Amino acid sequence: MSGPPLHEPDFALHVEDLTVAYEGKPVLWDIDLDIPPGVMAAIIGPNGAGKSTLLKTVLGVLRPTAGHIRVHGAPPRQRLRRIAYVPQRSAVDWDFPTSVLDVVMMGRYGHLGWLRWPGRRERERAFAALEQVGLTDLAGRQINQLSGGQQQRVFLARALVQEADVYFLDEPLAGVDATTERTIVQLLQQLRDAGKTLIVVHHDLQTVRDYFDWLVILNVRVAAQGPLGSVYTAENLRRAYGGKIALIERAATAPDTPERPLDGPR
Amino acid sequence: MSLLAALTNYTVQNVLIGAVLLGCVSGLLGTFAVLRQQSLLGDTLAHAALPGVCIGFLIAGGRHLGWILAGALATGVLTAMFVVLMVKRSRLKTDAALGIGLSVTFAAGVVLLTYIQGTAGASQGGLDSFLFGQAAATRRSDLWVMGAITLASLVLVLACWKQFKLVVFDPLFARSIGLPVVVLEVLLTAMIALAVVVGLQMVGVVLMTSMVIAPAAAARQWVNRLEHMVPLAMLLGVVAGVFGALISAWGNNLATGPLVVLAASALVLVSLLAAPRRGIIRERIDRWHARRALGQRQILATLYKLAIKHRDRHYPVELGMLDSFFGLATRRALQRLEQQGLVARVGHMREEGPHWTLTDTGYAEAERLTHFMASDDGPTRPGPRGRGTPEHG
Repeated sequence: MSGPPLHEPDFALHVEDLTVAYEGKPVLWDIDLDIPPGVMAAIIGPNGAGKSTLLKTVLGVLRPTAGHIRVHGAPPRQRLRRIAYVPQRSAVDWDFPTSVLDVVMMGRYGHLGWLRWPGRRERERAFAALEQVGLTDLAGRQINQLSGGQQQRVFLARALVQEADVYFLDEPLAGVDATTERTIVQLLQQLRDAGKTLIVVHHDLQTVRDYFDWLVILNVRVAAQGPLGSVYTAENLRRAYGGKIALIERAATAPDTPERPLDGPR
Repeated sequence: MSLLAALTNYTVQNVLIGAVLLGCVSGLLGTFAVLRQQSLLGDTLAHAALPGVCIGFLIAGGRHLGWILAGALATGVLTAMFVVLMVKRSRLKTDAALGIGLSVTFAAGVVLLTYIQGTAGASQGGLDSFLFGQAAATRRSDLWVMGAITLASLVLVLACWKQFKLVVFDPLFARSIGLPVVVLEVLLTAMIALAVVVGLQMVGVVLMTSMVIAPAAAARQWVNRLEHMVPLAMLLGVVAGVFGALISAWGNNLATGPLVVLAASALVLVSLLAAPRRGIIRERIDRWHARRALGQRQILATLYKLAIKHRDRHYPVELGMLDSFFGLATRRALQRLEQQGLVARVGHMREEGPHWTLTDTGYAEAERLTHFMASDDGPTRPGPRGRGTPEHG
């Protein structure tokens, strides 16, 4: 980053002294986090590092034990219309009786009033989003007839119709095939290029460097954070993962290798 | 009693209207319970209603339905909250907590019931009818209470339709867009307690749970949209209610409540078996078709291999040879392949049995199948599934 340092209201996400505990045990401990607007940030860390917990706390699903959170300078509760969320695919029962188009339109519920039913405008936006993720043909389909990759794209379309500024995604690339992964990543990068902020819980250390430009390494505490080039080092990864993974050595032995173009080949 | 006489009978009219209301409210609210996978909650809340019935009776000093239902609703909601607290604060799982809630409240209810019977004497006015329901005791004034509850829950569900839908489908996302998820979930639970309350008079606490579950479970088999499932569940509930009430009036005053439950259960059974996409029968038929198509493809492939081996596209294969190769009668399968124009009968040598040969289309199809099976990217190509069973497409 160049220029004068950003202040709290300038960050897309600002987390200060955040502690979250489950049954008395801290899952997140004393987290300080700043993510500037317009980046595509990955949150990585081993299992149980608190990645999903961090997302759920930011979104108000879990209550923090201590600390505070700001999204574009205000508590998330006051920024609901600027936040979009893509939960893990496994979070819902896909046998629920509803159609693809219906699920996508749920992204507009927050913008509709309490009593208003979704109408033609919501339908049009939902179709536009389905086109972006390449699922127009499946609009009328019952959601239990979708593949895993299609389910993920439906969730993404629902986030798109939220027309937010900050997108939180929980493992959007888990268990999807290579083609779907490419579609999703391209879409996310388009959003970033349009000035949106993307905060993605990611599990695959191998692809972090290819897809993202900002990195938060988490293991109950923040092990490292910042622009990907300076944070993705063997030492930082070892601090979070405990050096057990041989992959770390291979992935980040040479911190001086030039950063590959983000949308380049793997 | 003839059907017409039954319909003009004042008591039967009451029972019928009551059954219709019960069907409506249990289909409406049961849908959400079933989709939240909280069927056992209905059971617990039904049993939890019993102590409330007794307390309502004690407060009112008599069999006053308003007080009794208010009591039932109160203990139902209290029990639900108690169960939620137990799950949150202890290591008990939901089903264990529900089980405890069920038996504790029911035991307390039975104790209270015997206490009332002991003290109030003759004036206890058939409180034990709330155990299994006593539809014939339904009065016009009771119907007004039931109707008001039904109408209120209908209005509430319609008003908060999209919120309820989202909370049941994806509570995390619902929270992220700022919906008061906890409030909505408490509302849904309280409404199940309401449904139970409506059914107390007709069906009783013991059987009420199946009225909550059955119409919704049956409706889910036939439709794939919540917008269709709720009205269908209500309709099935009404059908079961009316059916039970009529049989009861027609027969020698057989117990209405259990008849309604039996009718609802019959609807579930039929739905589980016969529903077009999710039914067991359909599944079996599909599997049978698939197995038959597989057999046909194998025969086609065998004919193809023999044709290649003998360097003759139309090499005639004797039926007995195919039968012994597959170890079963292949004549029927060959006839079906013949109907599809893939194989043809040929007369060969007189002393041998009937012979079969691939047609040109059959040869092409077999070639395609073989290549399809050999290629790695098989499933992404237009597969033979549709082609294999053209007669059922």
